[in-house]
This record gives sequence, structure tokens and C-alpha cells, in this order.
Amino acid sequence: MITHPAPATTPAVRTAAPRPAPAAPRPRRRARPAAYRTLSRLLVVIIVVAQVYPLAWLFITSLRTEQDFASGNPFALPSALTLDNYARAFAVGNLGQNILNSFIVTMGANLLIVVLGMMAAYAIQVLGFRLSKLVRGIFLMGIIVPVQIALVPLFIDYSKIGLLDTYQSMIVPLAGFALPMSVYLFSSFFEYIPRETYEAASLDGAGPYRIFGLITLPLSLNTVVTVVLVNSIFIWNDFIFANTFVLTEGLKTIPLGLQNYIGTMGKTDWTATFAAVCVTVTPLLLVFLVLNKAMIQGLESGATKG
Amino acid sequence: MRRGSLDSPARKAHTMLPTRSRISVLVFLLPPLLVYGAAVLFPILQSLVLSFFSWNGIGDMEFVGLANYVHMLTHDDVFWRSFLNALGYLAICLVLQLGGALVVASLLLSLRRGRELVKTLYLLPAVISTVAIAFLFERIYSIDPVGLLNQVLSWVGLGSLERPWLSDVNTVLAAVSAPEGWRFTGLYMLIIYAALLAVPRELEEAAILDGASRWQLFTKIRFPYIRPVWITTTIMATTYGLRGFDIPYLMTNGGPGQSSELVTTYMYKTAFTSTDYGYASTISVFIVAECLVAVGLIVFMLRRKADA
Amino acid sequence: MKHPLRSKLRRTAAVAAVAALALAGCGTGSASSPTNVSPSGQIVPRQISWLLSRPADGSVITIMKKLADDYAKDHPGFSLNLITTPDRPSYIQKYETLAAADKLPELFDTDATPFAQQLAKQGKMMDVNKVLKDLGLYDSFRPAALDYQRFDDGSLYMVPMQFELEYFWYNKSLFQKAGVSVPKSLNDIPAMCTALRKAGITPIALDGQDQWPLERYVSYEPFRAAGPDYITSLKKGQAKFSDAPGQKAVNWLDALGKAKCFSEGFSSQGYSDAQNAFTSGQAAMYNIGTWELSSLATDKLNAAVRNDIDFFTLPTTPESVTEANEFVSPSGIGMAVNAKTYDPLVADFLKFALTKYPAEYAATGALAPTTNVQTTIPANATPLYQKALDKAKDLGTKQIMPWDTQLDPTSNTRLQQELTLLVQGNTSPADFTSTMDSTIAQNAPKFFK
Repeated sequence: MITHPAPATTPAVRTAAPRPAPAAPRPRRRARPAAYRTLSRLLVVIIVVAQVYPLAWLFITSLRTEQDFASGNPFALPSALTLDNYARAFAVGNLGQNILNSFIVTMGANLLIVVLGMMAAYAIQVLGFRLSKLVRGIFLMGIIVPVQIALVPLFIDYSKIGLLDTYQSMIVPLAGFALPMSVYLFSSFFEYIPRETYEAASLDGAGPYRIFGLITLPLSLNTVVTVVLVNSIFIWNDFIFANTFVLTEGLKTIPLGLQNYIGTMGKTDWTATFAAVCVTVTPLLLVFLVLNKAMIQGLESGATKG
Repeated sequence: MRRGSLDSPARKAHTMLPTRSRISVLVFLLPPLLVYGAAVLFPILQSLVLSFFSWNGIGDMEFVGLANYVHMLTHDDVFWRSFLNALGYLAICLVLQLGGALVVASLLLSLRRGRELVKTLYLLPAVISTVAIAFLFERIYSIDPVGLLNQVLSWVGLGSLERPWLSDVNTVLAAVSAPEGWRFTGLYMLIIYAALLAVPRELEEAAILDGASRWQLFTKIRFPYIRPVWITTTIMATTYGLRGFDIPYLMTNGGPGQSSELVTTYMYKTAFTSTDYGYASTISVFIVAECLVAVGLIVFMLRRKADA
Repeated sequence: MKHPLRSKLRRTAAVAAVAALALAGCGTGSASSPTNVSPSGQIVPRQISWLLSRPADGSVITIMKKLADDYAKDHPGFSLNLITTPDRPSYIQKYETLAAADKLPELFDTDATPFAQQLAKQGKMMDVNKVLKDLGLYDSFRPAALDYQRFDDGSLYMVPMQFELEYFWYNKSLFQKAGVSVPKSLNDIPAMCTALRKAGITPIALDGQDQWPLERYVSYEPFRAAGPDYITSLKKGQAKFSDAPGQKAVNWLDALGKAKCFSEGFSSQGYSDAQNAFTSGQAAMYNIGTWELSSLATDKLNAAVRNDIDFFTLPTTPESVTEANEFVSPSGIGMAVNAKTYDPLVADFLKFALTKYPAEYAATGALAPTTNVQTTIPANATPLYQKALDKAKDLGTKQIMPWDTQLDPTSNTRLQQELTLLVQGNTSPADFTSTMDSTIAQNAPKFFK
């Protein structure tokens, strides 16, 4: 669908130079840079507060007592801190199992997304074949298809072949629907591995399989990290497929597990829910913070090259 | 600068590799196609077929031809309401995500230190589960007990604007769009930031020497340069916007009335509340068509501008 | 793109898709008949499953788990797999997709909805009337509990697992402050709300987010004016909102809205918000059932309001055709028995479990669906607890069926949406009436052929 010629600069080279904000509202010839800088710093601070605030709120709420949460101003500081919510969250729910299941599903789906996405992109972009544009188009069409339309047909298909209520029943559609974006990112990236690299390898006698393993794969590590992290965010929080295809308690992922705090007629134990959210968001958050740099780099290079 | 990014590049040969075999193409292509076909294409096909039937899930399927389409396009006031809502929702998400991303990315460029930290913090909301986000915003919009938004309004002397944002039919659509726009702004910001970084400095300096204003610098130099990336992000944001579902579904379930009903939530209800699977499939086919048209329009408009 | 092979492939795939779906649609092959309640053969222990929508740590699940363990002691190899989805909309989605794939487990929860009635008509559920009679348990059940589970034609396909009474809880001191007293008639409520508002009090706490609480209010006037038959005709399109009982409901709700009976922004308030508004002494009234006794009639209740709380039952109207002791008394979502998998084991386990269940359930302080056991009042209960339970002894023969279980799902969704708009003042009674009448006329025929 879309291929972009890359402005071929690497972003990392030129980060040090200070520059004025480009998106000034009105044409202004000689603005004072100092005022600008103060203003933009202030804006950045406000925006960051808006972005971080919810996490802080989530965490504080998970430490509130139920009464405090119910009657008090939800944005004031708590009158007392308690770990009760965490105790209830663990007692009622099945958090360990839920985290494990989410982990298995996320890993499984990511494995498929990365391996299959790379393979397809390699075939389309590097190997090339007569109908490659058509195949690429078919894959890209998937970017725009809403997942909800596949629920009923998939459910019936799965129940026929006995896939219902398994890890695969979540992994396969999650991977399938994420594949287009993955193919897109990988093929945009592959486009910018210089042709000469391949030609040199070919002259040395390497076939398509060796080139894939020795050149394409190692070069795409940043893109792999990007694809994995972006997809992990969505898959870790996926509710719709899990709710449709999973029945057994032992297979429930985190978003399903969070429903355990819903009581009679919709009365929800919110403070316990938030404690559970805090517990379950932690693994993802840790991975995210550790790999964050690689992801940002991957996204950035994906952007300039995509 | 090269342009016409959407045409296939001039060097479009069939292959980058001189040595390849038909078999190797199949080895690489078949497994992804199989998974994709089984998980995505086949169900879509089934949906398309189903859209010509009337089926409640447990009774017999009845072929109704185009009746579902006729009903959707001519008789269903909820459908058209939800379609208009979806467009409004999309507009707000786009402004927040693309506009917000562009502003923040530009701000970031003016920072000397702490860029990495800001980028990381900015991405955080994307990690939190939708359930928590929906509930957080319910609290922010609430009036009884008074929520953050209403509190801030009364502090700054705009008390007359205080209202239950999610219950007011005039504000609810904006109120459910904002969280969706807000949470993924970080992703788009990163992409645009990287693109802005890549604008050659020499071009900018030359323009400044010629006496270009900041605004001209942006419209004449930077934006044309990042246009290809801008198209990609616009398409991503648009298709995600048109597929938006969970935040409105969780926060208001389309209410009050149909004020925040989107085509997707309407389709979901038709399938899983009304058990009208045939009609729900018809609506899904519409969503697919709608996305295709939207992408076509974006590509067409942005390309024309580039060529102009 | 013209390509002969591909278009042929496409055609084949389309045919296969139709075939696959058609197969799923027609799969009605039930192994045993819905009326054959005592299947012959050996009891072969195995795992059976119950798909349910009840709180994960609630007493129904706890008790059934325990009973299943007891049963397994005598029947090695038996186990009961409880699959719960407490969130009702998610549950309904799951249950309906399972029904579409013909994969419902041995036991599953459902209300007496039009969808369930279609399942019953297709012979997918056991005739519970016969099952309970065969097990010798039928007569021990409260008639009201069984009636709640019946379809319109009087047939019974679900076993009630609980029994609840819905009351208007109110705060005596707030009533006093506003100078109002317990309403004699439904028609008094709008004026009460005005008086309460004048005193700066939220008149009624309402969980607008979950839809069903507001939908209760639309059923009250017609039940008093025309009895339980109005909704059974309305849902089939035989009666209309433009008829007298319907107009009473519409105008009453319009009056409630105009008198600002519900808190501002009620439609985005959740269950906990509404209850907190009442238990913290901000709202004067709260319409909820006995499942909340442990929050409203024990020392768990906020001490500041504990002695001010009382309740009254649904008021009548001057020309009421139903009695004061006839109101909403639901027996909750019922348990259906899958006809396809009904065998000697399921029958035997049901007999075992249903015989022992009521006593265990009553011991938790709740009303059992049967009359042969005594509810244990918890040690921390206030006097109101006993008073609330005692009303169950003196119920009339008619009861209000919640409309969300009666209407076809499409009309029901629309009704919930339009009700909110009506009470918020975003639509007029006339528009409401015409919208609802045309929606029901359009959708009812699909479900009530």
C-alpha cells in the first residue's frame, strides 16, 4: 500500500543541537528564544503530568480503604493507607495463574507475529515474486479490519476443530490480526537494507535461507523489539478474544481475571480491582522500562524508514 | 527530495536476490499466509456470506439476499446516528493523536535535556489496561462526587461549565473520544518526532537565512519533508479510530440514548445482545468498506497536495 | 483482478463457508428428549460443567463446590467444573456463542428471555417442571420463585437458586428534614422528590450505568394499572406504549425526571456510586433487593445512618389492580439443564445437590428458593434484617417480571436508551412513545413468531 523513500539520515547523529519550537501558532519574526524555551518547558511539564498522573492515581487508589474511596473526593490524598485491597485481590482472584496465562499468550502470539511477519516480509520484499504486490495488498487489508467481525465465525470454526478453550484459540487470532502491521513494519525496514549487501552475499554463494539467517535477521533486531513491545501492549490487555474463546478458570488471562471482583448484580470491588490492576501491570511495565530504549529506537527508525 | 512516496519506487524490480527459487518463496510465504488466512481472511469471508442471511445463532439460517443491506441503509436510524458519531469520534481522536503528537514532538525538539525521560513517560498510558482507563475517566468526568474536570473548572472560575460530562448528550461523544486519543498519542508522537529529527539541518538554516518565519519554516520545509511519515501515521490513526470500541463500550455503552454509539459498538450489540448475526455481519462489511474508503481518501488528498 | 483459478477458489471457499455455518445452525441433534427425566442406565461418574454468571466468591458457588466434593466422595471420578463470568453482558455473549456452536455444557445459567425460550423450543433444555417433580422437590419450592423462571406459556425450564425481594430503602432522618413521609401512592413520588430537592437532598440514588435499575421504574405503573399481562402483550406488539398503562409509565417517568428525582449524571453512575450515595446519607431513597441485606441491615452499614434506615414496598396507586404485597420478587438468574447431555449421572447429582442446597444456602443468611428451610440471621444483623425477610411469608400471587428479561433484546436495548433520554429530559413523552412502539413492532415478530 505505502512505501516511503527514506530521508536517509540517522536520527541519533543530530540530537544535541538546540532548536526553536517549529509549531508556533502565528508567524512571528523575531521571538525571544528564552521566553520560548520557558514556555515550551512549561508545556512539556504539564503534558508529562497529564500522562503520568493516571498511573499515580491508580496506585494511590489501590492503597485506599474502601470507605475512603466510596465517600471521599477521589482525587484527594487518602486519609489512611492499607494493603487490605491487595490481600483481597489475591484471595478472591487467581492472579498468579492469570499473569502466567497472559504471559504464555503474549509470548506465543509474539513469536508467531515476529517469525511469520518476517517470513512474509522477506518473501514479499526481498525474494519477490510475480504476485507480490497482490499478496502485500491482501496482508495490508488486514490492518483495517475490525477484529469483532471475526468473533462468531471463528468461534464456530474453533468449536468444530476442537480448538475452543485452549491457548491456541487466543494466540492464533491475536497473531493473525497483528500480522498485517508486522508485515508492514518488516517490509518497510527490509526495503532499506542495501541491495548491495544481498548481492555481495549472493556472490559468496549464500542462498535465500542463509541470507535470511545471516543478514536479514540480525539486522532487524530493533524492529523485532518494536513489533514485540507494541503488540505486547495490545495482547496483554486483550479482552475480546479471551472472553470469547476461553471458558476454564485455569486459562483465564488478566483482563478476564479482573472480572472476578464483580459481585452480585454488577457491584464491583473497585479498590481490589485496582490493586489487581497494579499487580498485573507491573510485569509489562518492567519489560517496557527495560526495553524502552530499543523500542523507541525501533519505532523511530521504523518511522523514518516507513 | 523524493516525492510520490505512494507509487512503487522506480527501482521496483521483482527481487533483491539474484539467487532464489520458487520453493524458497513458498517456504517463506506459505506459513504466514496460512495463519493469516485461517484467522483473518476465512472469518471475513464467512462474515460476508453471513451478511446475506438472517440468523439468530440457534435457529435455521434464512437467505434474505440484500434485505440486511437495504434495512441498514434506508431504515435504521440508530445505524446512521452511530455512523455520524463514529466520524465525530474519529475527528477528535485524530486531532488529539496527530495534532497532539505533532505539538509534543516539536516541543521535544526544543528541549535540551530529558528528552528520553519525557518520551518514556509519554508512552506510559498505552500500557495501562482499558478497564482502568475507563474507570479513571469516569471519575474525572463525574459531577457527583465532583470529579477532577469539574473541580478544575470551578477553580478557574468556569463553574457554569460544570456538568456530568458523560450524561450530557452534547458532551458525551467528546468525553469518550478524549481518553482514546490521549492514550496512544505517545506512539504517534515518537514516530513524528523521529521524522522531524531527520529533516536536514542545512535546509532549515538556509530558510532561516532567507528570513522565513517559524510558521513558514514549518509549512514550507519541515512538513513537506515528513509528509510520507505523516501519511502513514494518519492512516494508522484513522483506521484505529474507525475501529475504536472498548473505551466507549466500557464507559457509556453507547449512551445516554445513542449519543456515544459507534458503528463498532452497535455491531457488537447487534451480534451479541440482539443475536442478529446476519445483520451484524452486514454492519461489519460496512465497517470494512468504510475503512477502505477512508484510506483511499487520505491517500488521494495527501498525494494531491504533494503534487500540487 | 481476473484470474480463473482464484475466482474458482473463491467460489469454493464461499460454498464451504456457507456449509460450515449452515451445519452449525442446524445442529439440533439432542441425544435425549427434554421430557425424559429419568434416563435409564448406569451412573458413570465424569466431570460435568456449569456455565454460570454469579460472583466468584459468592455463596452459590461456594456451596455448590462443597456439595460437588461431597458427591465425589461416593462417586470417584466425578467433578463439577464451575465456569463463572460475573459480568452479565460478557456472560450473555459467551452463553449465546456457545449456544450458536451447540456447545453448551451440562448446566448453564439463563434468565427467562426470548432467546432462552427459543432454546427450549428446540428441545435443548430439560423440562424442569418434570425434573423437579421426578426428583420429588417440586413442592418444596416457593411458587413465586418458580413463577419467576417460567416462560409466558407457563412452562418451566430453569431451576431458581435464590429468592430476593426488592424494596425502596429510605433514610428516615432525611425524610424528616424535608418534611415528607413514606409515599402512599406511586403518584406521590414526584412531589416528594421536589420537596427533597428543596431541602438539598438527592431524592433517589440510581445506578444508571447498569440500565436494569432504571428499567424497573418503567414497569411499576403498568403493573399497578393493568397487572402482569401488560408486558406480556407489549413485548409481542399486541399492546402498545400508547395504551393507557404505557402512557401512565411514560408520564410518570417524565414527571420523575422533571422533579429531578435522580442525581445529576445518574446515567454515568455505577452500582457502587449509587449505593454509596445512599449509605453515606446523601440520597434519601434507594431501590434494591435483599441481596444487599448484608450491606444495608448489618453493622457493616455506616454507623452514621444505621439507625435511620428503613424500607417500604412498592407503593400502590388509587386504581391499582394489584395488591401492596405484590411487587418485584425475583429468584435471580436460573440454572438450565442441557437436554443433550442429561444422563443418569446428571440426574443423580442434581437430586443430591438440589436436596441439600437450600439448607446450606439459608445458613448464609439469604432467602432460599424453597420453603422447607429457615434462614439464619447473621450475628451482626440489625432488626431490619428480620423485617426484610419476613415479607417473604406474605406475598401475593402476582409479581412484576423485570422487563429486561421479557422484551426481545433489540427492543430492550432501545428501551433502556430511550428511558435515560426521557428521564434526562432529552426526549418528549410523545417521541418516546412513538419510537418505542415502532421499535417493538419491528423487532418483536422475529422473537415471538
